[in-house]
Amino acid sequence: MKRTMLAVLVASLAMAGAEAKTIKMEVNGLVCAFCAQGIEKKLRAMAPTKDVFVSLEKKLVAVALKDGQDIPDATLKESLKDSGYDVATVARSDEPLEAIRRAAKAK
Amino acid sequence: MQQAARAALFGAALLTSLAAAAKPIAFQDGWTVMAEYGTDTMREAQVFYAPKYWWSGGASYTKILAQDGHFVREIPVLQANYLVHRWNLPAAQANVFVWGGLGAAKGFDGEGNFSGVGTGKLGGQADYETRSVYASLKTDWYHSSRFTNRIDTLQLGVAPYEHDYDELATWLVVQARRYTGGVMGGRTEWIPMVRLFKGNFWVEAGADRDGRAQVMVMMNF
Repeated sequence: MKRTMLAVLVASLAMAGAEAKTIKMEVNGLVCAFCAQGIEKKLRAMAPTKDVFVSLEKKLVAVALKDGQDIPDATLKESLKDSGYDVATVARSDEPLEAIRRAAKAK
Repeated sequence: MQQAARAALFGAALLTSLAAAAKPIAFQDGWTVMAEYGTDTMREAQVFYAPKYWWSGGASYTKILAQDGHFVREIPVLQANYLVHRWNLPAAQANVFVWGGLGAAKGFDGEGNFSGVGTGKLGGQADYETRSVYASLKTDWYHSSRFTNRIDTLQLGVAPYEHDYDELATWLVVQARRYTGGVMGGRTEWIPMVRLFKGNFWVEAGADRDGRAQVMVMMNF
């Protein structure tokens, strides 16, 4: 019994490790901070969202996900469209949002 | 000759810029609130809500004052705004908006006081912006049985630095505005301005050579 529970725990941890922590989107039209406020508002309203980072310089919108949660690509693209923008690419990453923020801010 | 040069400037801007001023549509489920003090010739306030990213509706109030004081027109309207097209480019955005509204004007002119005069409003805006350059051309046309006024506004801007999302944005903007209907005797109003925005708050202010102030504040939320 103990061995079974241990195996489930190890498997769960392994699965959790394999899940993406962050979604990175390359966004077209992202040139004005005032106009892009809707992006943050919409993404933060989604239940799986833990944090949001926007970089005009990198044309990047990054979403940190809560543990074990995700947002489908179609939902992300629709949300950005409703905010007035077009998503060029979507990628998932294990990189923490803070690391993405630091890299974007590095001159 | 000077008038021809100015007309050419307006025409070139119309053809080459699809400009971005204060946009009448924020984002889906977003509000836009704007107030403008336009020297001694115009006052404006607007509140719009956008059910979709491509249209918004709300109320607009415009007061047009003749510089020589011979008329004042206050025009509150219920207004709808429509995004005709947006170009989201890798390093730029361009938009074309149109709008229309209906209201009842009041004021006074050479024939005396008036109120409750049914008035229609039509307008549009084309804008283009990158992180360092910006252009906008806007027109508003008001028509009633008592008066007709058109207000054309051109704005060209440059950013001394490229702001990022969480930073203060600074723009240096030149605004040219022309009125029909005898507001300024056919002259063009030229105003250099500084525009600042951070988060969801925007303010721009300037003055013409005679020290007449132009101020606009706006919020999206």
